[in-house]
Amino acid sequence: MKKQYGKWLLVPALSLAWVAMMLPSAEAADRKGGGGGAAARAGGGTKPNVKAGNNRADSRTNNVRSTSVTNVNNNVNVNKNVNVNVDANRGCCNGWDNDYHPIATAAAVTATVAVTSAIVGSIVSAPPPGCVPVNYGGMIYQQCGATWYQPQGTQFIVVNPPY
Amino acid sequence: MLGKTWISALALTLAASVAGAQTAAPPAAPPPANPVDAASIQALQAMGTHLQSLQRFSVSTEVTGERVLADGQKLQHSARAVVDVARPNRLRARMTGPRTERELFYDGKAVTLFTPAQKYYSTVEFSGSVAELVSRLQERYGVEVPLSDLFLWGTAAAPIDRIQSAMYVGPAVIGGERTDQYAFRQGNFDWQLWMTTGDKPLPRKLVIVNRADEARPQSVSLIIWNLRPAFTDAAFRFTPPKGGSRIELVPLKAQ
Repeated sequence: MKKQYGKWLLVPALSLAWVAMMLPSAEAADRKGGGGGAAARAGGGTKPNVKAGNNRADSRTNNVRSTSVTNVNNNVNVNKNVNVNVDANRGCCNGWDNDYHPIATAAAVTATVAVTSAIVGSIVSAPPPGCVPVNYGGMIYQQCGATWYQPQGTQFIVVNPPY
Repeated sequence: MLGKTWISALALTLAASVAGAQTAAPPAAPPPANPVDAASIQALQAMGTHLQSLQRFSVSTEVTGERVLADGQKLQHSARAVVDVARPNRLRARMTGPRTERELFYDGKAVTLFTPAQKYYSTVEFSGSVAELVSRLQERYGVEVPLSDLFLWGTAAAPIDRIQSAMYVGPAVIGGERTDQYAFRQGNFDWQLWMTTGDKPLPRKLVIVNRADEARPQSVSLIIWNLRPAFTDAAFRFTPPKGGSRIELVPLKAQ
């Protein structure tokens, strides 16, 4: 009787061990949004298109007051003709390198958006149905009423409205 | 009464120490009468003329930029781009930023912005030179083409008279290549340029400091040149991928 119990205990223990062994690659596949093939590939080296973790960035990183610029001539034109601070131009002229720029907006905007819709900086695997894709300022967004999403790898991050 | 004595005593001490420092310090060169060094401007113009003469080229760039948080803390980010050009009116750019990968196609008839991950594309009709395209995209759509200065230096869109200060810094080596370093000041922007030595100068490194913010966010772009690219004209034509969808390109809104 005791022996039989032992046998029965062994089966779940083994299957647990098997699950544990499989978990890392299963996670990798999930991150990549792919199937078994992707898991096999991700198991080896780190591929550049594998996006790092699902962790949400610290909310303080959303509160950007200014950025560097990446060209000399157009920015000077902006200053001369419009006579505004480059940084006040939301979604404009922050440089081709800076795809963070939609969240580089005033804190006041963040507060208003946060009350009425999804919190800026939060991440979802897919935007809700009925969103409209928009290309603005060189970036792709999914506009869902008052909430705007920006693709980030295979996921979507809630950003401040670019306009 | 006491205050006055103190102030005059302090003034005397200060005057004495300033006089002392002046006699002790080695003779410094007087500041130039004109902060704009003519030879540096000439070098910039020569580079611009050479850039405009290039008919087919491919440049790849790696940029490090900064964003300033509300309390002045700075965060750095990196991006890469490859830009293929066939003058007068063909351009293709592939941009890899922290979050997204984007492509830009211009074949002389239409310009397309494409995001491969979502297979979204936006196409707008346009005819004009690559320099006109770069300015139009920035002004109307807020889309910056990587290394857009390459198309503007040596043209009327990069007027020399806006440069308030220009100086030669000295020789430097960038990526194993001999270059000359120059520093310029223009409105809120301080910028430095490293251009290859010789009679065919090319920009190899560009640093821009944004002085509009006291934290002075800076971008550093390294530029690698290929003057014998293998692409054909067909590479600039965009063909929508299977399952791709066309989306609206919204012009910049007045803020």
